[in-house]
Amino acid sequence: MSQPADLSRRRFLGWTGGAGAAVLLAACSAPSSSSDAKDKVAKSSKDVDKIGFDYPFTFLPVYAGVTKFAKARAKEVGVDLTQTSDNGRPDVQTSNLDTLIAQKVPAIVSFPMVFEALETQAAAARSAGLIWVTYGGTLKNQSASITFSFEEGGRLLGEDAATWAKENLGGKGKIAFLVDDTIQLGRERTKGMMDAFTKAAPDMEVVGREQAIDPDTGLSKIKAILAKHPDLNMVLGITDGAAFGGYKALVEAGRAESDAKTYVGGQDGDLGSLELIKKGTFYRASAALQLRDIGNAVIDVPLAVADGKSDADASADVPIALVKQGDSLLDEIISQYA
Amino acid sequence: MSTPQSVRQLARYPLIPVIIVMAIAFEASTGSFVGQQNLLGIATDSATLAIVAVPTAMLVISGYLDLSVGSTYALGAVAAGWLASEHNGSMLGCVLLALLAGVAVGAVNGLLCCGLGLSPFIVTLGTLTAVRGIAQQLAPLPQTGFSESFAWLGGSKVAGLPSPVIIAILVVLVAGFVLVATPLGRHIYAIGVSREAAYLSGVRVRMVPFGLFLLTGALAALAGAIKASVLGAVQSGTAGLGFELAVLTAVLVGGVALAGGSGSLVGVVLGVAFLGILQNGLTLLGVPTFWQQVAQGVALIVAAGLAYLSPRLEAMTAPRPEAPKPVPVPA
Repeated sequence: MSQPADLSRRRFLGWTGGAGAAVLLAACSAPSSSSDAKDKVAKSSKDVDKIGFDYPFTFLPVYAGVTKFAKARAKEVGVDLTQTSDNGRPDVQTSNLDTLIAQKVPAIVSFPMVFEALETQAAAARSAGLIWVTYGGTLKNQSASITFSFEEGGRLLGEDAATWAKENLGGKGKIAFLVDDTIQLGRERTKGMMDAFTKAAPDMEVVGREQAIDPDTGLSKIKAILAKHPDLNMVLGITDGAAFGGYKALVEAGRAESDAKTYVGGQDGDLGSLELIKKGTFYRASAALQLRDIGNAVIDVPLAVADGKSDADASADVPIALVKQGDSLLDEIISQYA
Repeated sequence: MSTPQSVRQLARYPLIPVIIVMAIAFEASTGSFVGQQNLLGIATDSATLAIVAVPTAMLVISGYLDLSVGSTYALGAVAAGWLASEHNGSMLGCVLLALLAGVAVGAVNGLLCCGLGLSPFIVTLGTLTAVRGIAQQLAPLPQTGFSESFAWLGGSKVAGLPSPVIIAILVVLVAGFVLVATPLGRHIYAIGVSREAAYLSGVRVRMVPFGLFLLTGALAALAGAIKASVLGAVQSGTAGLGFELAVLTAVLVGGVALAGGSGSLVGVVLGVAFLGILQNGLTLLGVPTFWQQVAQGVALIVAAGLAYLSPRLEAMTAPRPEAPKPVPVPA
């Protein structure tokens, strides 16, 4: 039997009225005065009991590595590290940051998916007296930053590959790029890698420029390219994951693992790729992130800001290093994954 | 005049002419599509999709849905990868562990959907997220250095065919036989057509879909283990990411009705082939990333349109019943 119309209307109005009142009460009780905010301002690193680490690309292997070292460093200095789960979505990232700001987490380290989009959150955090550290780049509104040039990483790989092409192929051969056009860091890496390579080795024929960040996609894309260009010499990847898939496709097609006329290289410094480099295969180089240094910086930079250091003095620029067979850094980074 | 049998088959499976046209177009424009290496490459890449699309199709035919297959795939890969790398596990052990992980996910989905009657869409969307989290928690760092025995799973060949393709063929044949030639197959269709009518007919309307959830989970995890073996590495964060969408697309483009009750595994296999050929052809042509997305979207809409028209075309080409002969009037 259906309800009378006025009863359901009354119930609806009751619910909406109640919800509205709750919202109003919450708004009235929300701390908004600047004096209240100032009470929360960290006057020294001792006042920073919690750091919010907002890293949106949790599906990347690098995330686990950086987090591992950040947690260890946090434990060392007696700070609680809280993490967000953005699922690679800018809207979720914004919402999570708003929550951290509302909770007055004394320091926030955030890796913006879209840098310009987070200026508002960064400004809100700072006006609430919180420390804002930008990860992977810089914002106008920030206390400090942790930078490592994505374009520089791509450039290092592109230049090394071009040098190898000139020395081993006479500068003439075929190359396929596995790129990422979807997010800012991917575009920067792609630009650095492709510009550096094509400028230094202009006679190399680019036979593929395919979107791939993971091994599975890298494998299927390079397989298809090999069907048309079985004499493909080089594969450069936006990530080591994608390049690893490319390497597998070449091996599956019958290429000897130490083929002298083949070069595969990637970026990030993933364990599987580094092991192939160490083994002396044609996976020859990786523009590797220094996981321990970055992880430590996630804790040390906001603490330095709390101790009164300026943006310029507190910020950390972690270099990206190109690792190749025989480099001492190669073993060092492999050991970091242990 | 009756319509030829071949025309009726084309009307029933409109993806066949589409695939033929695509293959001709890609060969004409690239000159390297119809090569043994490329076709084997497509088959190998599509094998894991087929292995999961088949049980998913059976589940959809019975009126249910599993969106968690991408994460179950990752969990299976992680489970097998862990045993293969940390304990030098044998291929059989790795496969069994992956299957166990997949069955566990399937059991949770089955209990919640068939036992408690919760919405499969919401439940499996939840397990999609939760199981991905479990996989990443178990293996946050990449897994590599697998045992040689495990490498055989994805890297061996039987009669010139890669092992993933052989496994996919076996899955299709066994599932096809069950669906077409056994009472269980008829029960699956019956539950999809009308749960109430099936129940009144004595069909076990909870146990049959529950079993299909277990099967889907197990085969999704097996597919993950196979891919881990092919690659020689597992990244829990990216393994099978978006895979559920590819599976569902193959199933629906293959003509399986999302409402349940109708569909065939031949259509599903054609759907898998369609996606594999399209992806491969666009890469061969060197189509830029975003145009590839446009082309894939348009092709899927066209395929869906054909799937919609298929029953109507089939009805149009079906042989008409003969007119009843006039009854002679007694003099």
